Amino acid sequence: MSTDQQNPRGSNAAGRGQGAGAPPRSTTTQEALREIRSGVSAMWWGFFDWLAVVSWKILILVSFLSLILVGGVFHYPTLVFALIIASCIVKAVAGAKRKAEVTATEATKRADTEQLERTVLEARMEALQAQIEPHFLFNTLASIDQLILTDPPRASRMQQSLIRYLRSAMPQMRDGKRPTLGQQVDLCSAFLEIMAVRMEGRLQAVVKVPDGLKSAVFPSMMLQTLVENAIKHGLEPKAEGGRLEIGAEIVDGRLAVHVLDTGLGFAPKSDAGVGLANIRERLKVLYNGRAELIISVPAEGGTCATINVPYEIAAA
Amino acid sequence: MPSTAAPTAVVADDERLMREQIVGRLREAWPELSIVGEAVNGREAVALVRSLEPDIAFLDISMPEMDGIQAAQAVAGQVHVVFVTAHDEYAIKAFEQGAVDYLLKPTEPGRLAITCERLRERLKGAPDPMNELLAQLSQRLGGGTLKPREYMRWVQASVGTTIRMIPTSDILFFRAEDKYTRVQTTGFEALIRKPIKELIDELDPSEFWQIHRATVVRVDAIEQVSRNFRGQQIVHVKGSPERLEVSRTFNHLFKQM
Repeated sequence: MSTDQQNPRGSNAAGRGQGAGAPPRSTTTQEALREIRSGVSAMWWGFFDWLAVVSWKILILVSFLSLILVGGVFHYPTLVFALIIASCIVKAVAGAKRKAEVTATEATKRADTEQLERTVLEARMEALQAQIEPHFLFNTLASIDQLILTDPPRASRMQQSLIRYLRSAMPQMRDGKRPTLGQQVDLCSAFLEIMAVRMEGRLQAVVKVPDGLKSAVFPSMMLQTLVENAIKHGLEPKAEGGRLEIGAEIVDGRLAVHVLDTGLGFAPKSDAGVGLANIRERLKVLYNGRAELIISVPAEGGTCATINVPYEIAAA
Repeated sequence: MPSTAAPTAVVADDERLMREQIVGRLREAWPELSIVGEAVNGREAVALVRSLEPDIAFLDISMPEMDGIQAAQAVAGQVHVVFVTAHDEYAIKAFEQGAVDYLLKPTEPGRLAITCERLRERLKGAPDPMNELLAQLSQRLGGGTLKPREYMRWVQASVGTTIRMIPTSDILFFRAEDKYTRVQTTGFEALIRKPIKELIDELDPSEFWQIHRATVVRVDAIEQVSRNFRGQQIVHVKGSPERLEVSRTFNHLFKQM
């Protein structure tokens, strides 16, 4: 079997060889010429690139050596001299442009890798931030369990809020599109509806986000972290509770989104900063210094956290 | 307090639904037990235990004002304590030692029945002071006295007309200026009233070094240290053109390795 298979292939190859060799001989010379031309051209461009990138100091050194070697030993000083002069002219005239091209290509390659690294880093940090707190989940489920006995319609509404929250909080459940402020506000509203049932009169939540801003691009899970922090560190530990406000506005062409609470306020020694540090890092990666997180203390007490990002409308 | 009379209990949780749940399920599991009071935070729970002298206290762990652990510490030995928690791995580990009982929310009737059985046994004796368990718990939950020293993580400073909280990791250096101390970050500067002398006590010494009577610098922000013509050490900071002098007293910080 194997010989049978090999044979036709062998004869086939021979036939093709003959076909190429027998007809006009000029084709082979043409091919050879073309090869030589491309070889020379490759050599020339290699030499050209080297000329462009090499420093003047090394060029002079090499010229000097070749003058001694080729000029002195083989007695072709004029040829070498002409070559050196030509090199210098080429380097002076075209070198700078070529050098810029070479460095630009390298920079693009590096930028591509950096962009990829940033994307991976951001995805990892986003996943970290999107972790759902078990304490929240179990407490909410326990509340639903109780409402099923005492107020079934309310239990159903609370469960729907929880489903809405989980759907948008789980990173693997999101579509690949850039997240909008509207989506983030909806997610927070679902969270606040749940917390309002649990905390009752101790939480008054207000969402003041104009409809017109809901299509703006806004990073995922950041608003959520601010709202959770406001409740966990500001309002829940305060016996009488208080007010929480989510607001958004355009300031100097930038989108400013804030979460304000009238809770306990910020303790300078508190290490509530894990979530906040994560937001800061992500903003750095996503916006490269064009976005910031500001924590301030309102005159009436409590905490106000503001995220400032460039204003951008999400593609429909 | 253990007596032949019907046993009594108080329930503390900051969420009404959760109080209703435990009260409702206790009524089914242990009809003779009478719930004599309900509290919405740890402080109220302690007051109720002291005034009503119940046999048992069901305490939620995370509550405002005073958490369940602190409340239990305040009334240790006066009442049998059962902790109720939504999710707390540390607490669960500690309770496995069997000193007191714990319940997970939502309380399952079957599990609650075991707790009630255990409590009926315990009511024959005096309440456990739970010293060791509570110390362990509060340490694990970060609410105890055995915590390592805490340093300043945020600086509250005025920038223009607003008061901002600046994370210490954003600060390049502090510098004394007349009546104020200037806080320098990469993007802006702010002023605080706290003098360098007081600041240095509150900052983490592994994060910030004092290099001059008037200057404290964040170690990670130091780019390099050079010498000027008089041989004085000069600190260069990443993200600021300002050069910071090192006074002789602090020269040892930058000795060559």
